[in-house]
Amino acid sequence: MSRGVFPADRAGVAGAVVLAVAALVALAAPLLVPADALDVTRVSDAAWQPPGAGHWLGTDHTGRSVALLVVRGTGTSLFVGLTAAVLSVGIGTLVGILSGHVGGLFSGALLRVTDFFLVLPSLVLAIALSTVLPRGLGTIVVAIGLTSWPSTARMVRAQTLTVEARPFVDRARALGGGHVHVVVRHVLPAVVPLVLVNATLAVASSIVAESTLAFLGLGDPTRISWGALLHQAQLHGAVPRGAWWFLLPPGLAIVVVVLAFTLVGRALEAVVTPRG
Amino acid sequence: MLELRNLTVHYGHTRVVDDVTLSLAPGQTLGLAGESGSGKSTVALSVLRLLPKTARVDGDVLLDGEDVRSMSWGRLRAVRWASASIVFQGAMHSLNPVHRVGDQIAEPMRLHGTSGNVGDLLEQVELPREKAQAYPHELSGGQKQRVMIAMALACGPRLVVADEPTTALDVIVQARVLGLVTRLVAERGLGLLMISHDLSVLAGTCDDLAVLHRGALVERGPAREVVARPRHPHTAALAAAFPVIGDPAHRRVGPAPAREPLLQVRDLVVDYGRTRAVDGVDLAVGRGEVVALVGRSGSGKTTLARAIMGLHKPASGRVVFDGAEVPSKGRGLKAFRRQVQLVLQDPASALNPRHRVRDAVAEGLRVHGVGGDVDALVAAAVERAELRPASRYLDSLPHELSGGQQQRVVIAGALVLQPRLLVADEPVASLDASVRGEVVALLLRLRAELGLATLLITHDLGLAWQIADRVAVMHEGAIVEEGPADRVLLAPSHECTRALVRAVPAL
Amino acid sequence: MRLAGRFGGAALSLVMVAVLGFFLFRVVPGDPVVSMTRGRPTTAAAQDALRAQFGLDRPLHEQFWSYFTGLLRGDLGTSFTFRRPVAEVIGDRIGPTLLLVGTSTLVAVLLGLWLGVRAGWRRGSVFDRVTTGASLALWSVPTFWLGMLLMMATGEVFPSRGMRDTDTAPDFVSQSLDVAHHLVLPSVTLVAVVCAEYVLVMRSSLLQETAAPYLVTARAKGLRDDLVRRRHAVPNAVLPAITLVFLRFGLVVGGAITTETVFSWPGLGLLFYDALTGPDYFLLQGLLVVTAAAVVVMNLLADLLHGVLDPRVEVV
Repeated sequence: MSRGVFPADRAGVAGAVVLAVAALVALAAPLLVPADALDVTRVSDAAWQPPGAGHWLGTDHTGRSVALLVVRGTGTSLFVGLTAAVLSVGIGTLVGILSGHVGGLFSGALLRVTDFFLVLPSLVLAIALSTVLPRGLGTIVVAIGLTSWPSTARMVRAQTLTVEARPFVDRARALGGGHVHVVVRHVLPAVVPLVLVNATLAVASSIVAESTLAFLGLGDPTRISWGALLHQAQLHGAVPRGAWWFLLPPGLAIVVVVLAFTLVGRALEAVVTPRG
Repeated sequence: MLELRNLTVHYGHTRVVDDVTLSLAPGQTLGLAGESGSGKSTVALSVLRLLPKTARVDGDVLLDGEDVRSMSWGRLRAVRWASASIVFQGAMHSLNPVHRVGDQIAEPMRLHGTSGNVGDLLEQVELPREKAQAYPHELSGGQKQRVMIAMALACGPRLVVADEPTTALDVIVQARVLGLVTRLVAERGLGLLMISHDLSVLAGTCDDLAVLHRGALVERGPAREVVARPRHPHTAALAAAFPVIGDPAHRRVGPAPAREPLLQVRDLVVDYGRTRAVDGVDLAVGRGEVVALVGRSGSGKTTLARAIMGLHKPASGRVVFDGAEVPSKGRGLKAFRRQVQLVLQDPASALNPRHRVRDAVAEGLRVHGVGGDVDALVAAAVERAELRPASRYLDSLPHELSGGQQQRVVIAGALVLQPRLLVADEPVASLDASVRGEVVALLLRLRAELGLATLLITHDLGLAWQIADRVAVMHEGAIVEEGPADRVLLAPSHECTRALVRAVPAL
Repeated sequence: MRLAGRFGGAALSLVMVAVLGFFLFRVVPGDPVVSMTRGRPTTAAAQDALRAQFGLDRPLHEQFWSYFTGLLRGDLGTSFTFRRPVAEVIGDRIGPTLLLVGTSTLVAVLLGLWLGVRAGWRRGSVFDRVTTGASLALWSVPTFWLGMLLMMATGEVFPSRGMRDTDTAPDFVSQSLDVAHHLVLPSVTLVAVVCAEYVLVMRSSLLQETAAPYLVTARAKGLRDDLVRRRHAVPNAVLPAITLVFLRFGLVVGGAITTETVFSWPGLGLLFYDALTGPDYFLLQGLLVVTAAAVVVMNLLADLLHGVLDPRVEVV
């Protein structure tokens, strides 16, 4: 259980460093990228330039710098990933603790609903939601958050049941402790570390989900995100043109950040659930 | 046949087995006794070189004169099970859940080319031949242990190592399995190395006894002699932990006067799912009285205790405390729970691993909103439970304490509310033999000093003999016999009680 | 009894799928007809006609009743863009998807379980580290991006659009070879991403078994290491892994949508993409109901299969 295990996990540390850099880039993007450098109407450079002296990652179909676009997209992708993960893990934790603690018919119904949404293809649901709701960042967050909570709910429920089956909860009840006492003093402290791990992993999958929705053209049209860049690349034929410089950077950015969240999540998991 | 010479095993820098020298002649039976962490299971696994790679083994392990440690893999695989086999502890997990038990018994026979028949082996361990078709989960604990024994005999080894073969079994099943082992060993002239924490089990089965303490061998000799005249203080502590029923020296309470009833259970019925676990029980505990509720596992005694505490809703019947009926919920139940405290079997799991001793003991005070100097109350309760000085323990986490200390913390958490009745469910069953005596003494002292009544739930008749004023015997959800401890235990009238008394291993 | 319970549960899930499909597209802000006709020349009268045609002018409960009875008859409504029954449109496209998803799942399951077992049994070995690292990396890759990369990297070696060429000879062998040739890139994409997940699932499932006491028993009997693994560890570890594989079938469905979009594979995924660019609500609703129902059925199958494979689970 010692906190000292975490730094020892080199992959986890590497992930944390990548995330720190990504966060810095996202925060500093308005300073790094001049306001009119990405305005299609003001850009005068040639389209589809390969990487070179002028633009070290080349230009897109309108002549904007791919490097600047990727920097600008960092904030959107991170924001959606984080908020959707918080929403999803929040719902999941609430449902999980309720269905694990309350018991009876209510718990059975809640479990039924959780299992139902767990097997449904979440991407399909997210696509449906973002089609019917007005386009925007909020819609993307809601579409991802509302469709990805069941796995957290399942895990939190399992942990709640495990804790409540432990004799120390019997002891707390026999001492006269009520629902609030048991949940606050015994269940929550045991659930929180797992929830943190889950949230970290949820950010990873939310970023992938965001990029997929944006790629399918369901993103916020007013904002630049890595997925939206790949949507543009597909739409304007980057592949047949062989414009690898428009394809690689946004995709690699997604992979690196998602992998970083995953590695940090797994390292945290190893700390939270030590193996014998 | 088996010879250990200066066997020493390290895990990292921890020495688990320390310079053990032992030998076992063909047909000889040797009991190896020790508490948890004494290294006894490590000795068992080292016989067939089954220790994990992280273990460093020094010394010699000679099996029929050949060193197991230097054998080639092929030779080692040939020796395993054919020369020596192991009956593992916890048959539940040592059998593969997805294979039929017949196939699992036949597997080593096919592997080593031994002739024989699974059905015959099952009959030898007194199981019907058809059980070969069963999966492990379809068998009871005792049946699974019999399958393990049949499997151990499959290749006709000359040595059987039995590692806690009866732990976790019900008392009566334990007696039957031990009888079976004794018979098979005698019939086949097997060498037996039996490992247990329970000196009485070993003394009843083996000719010789050896005692391990912190990895080192402290005593070895003929079983009767070791038990009767222990030379090492640790052996003496182990032997004292198993009181002899009927021996006045082991009885710690005098004759008791009739007492006013404190807790009365009237015609209580409790259902567990579809089975009726408690079927119309009447029971009374007087003020300051220790009543032992004994019975086989599954007889419903723990369910009864949970129903009394309001942790399980009874189907019908009443619980009356101090003249007033206990309601099933709300404020009245909470007030009752302040006066009646629960002490559970396994102190390690009865304490939240994240809570420090201070918080664990203060939990009851917080729940009941007791004001005043909480720290002083907690410290006093901890000292009362004989953890002195309290300041040394208050900031510890449960895993930093020994089993006995953990149980004292649980008891302190009960005492802090100044209860009038303790409901203690197997309070010493999971404790090491040497600690058990101290906790028993603590319970007695609390009764004497505080007038604390106790409802003691146990399978252990020796414990009942030691401290109970009265004994109630439970069988299939009903109380079949009840009376003063010496009468019930020495002159039992019901067949169930007689069976329980007979099953106690004799030293 | 448990068998009846399983079927009952699946039936309930299917009803929930139907209800979800209905309300998702009705109880939302905005008028479906307005959004479906967005960007097209239309008049108020034409919109009213459309509303009447799709029954959108009727009360909600009547709409639901006709939708639900229609579902039971296999009627999923009419597609706005195709002007044909949704069920027919879906029926035309289901074959290519079954081919792509079926092949990819089969390969991914076999490869994933095999790699996962190998990696888990030798935890910490070079093989384990490479396999786990590659799986984690692949798991982080958006499916569509991997598809685009593969397309660009292989150039003209494999066809990257559609399912068959127009100039292929009409005989069965040439047609099959042509389809197989077109199948390579989409299925490699789908396998890579899905397989990564299976490797991780199988590996952790096996790791949970490596400390099991029955493996010590097996070793004590004198079994070789590979027999301990094959006969004792794997049968126990595979069961939860297979359940998880089926449980996460939704992942394959999601992957299929983007893969088909990237490679213009004429299946349900591409249809999905076409429907949402419309947007064609009735087609989307039909697709949602059909894919969700397929996943529910897959789960029922997984449950039944688990009952057959695991002696601890009573099926009847």
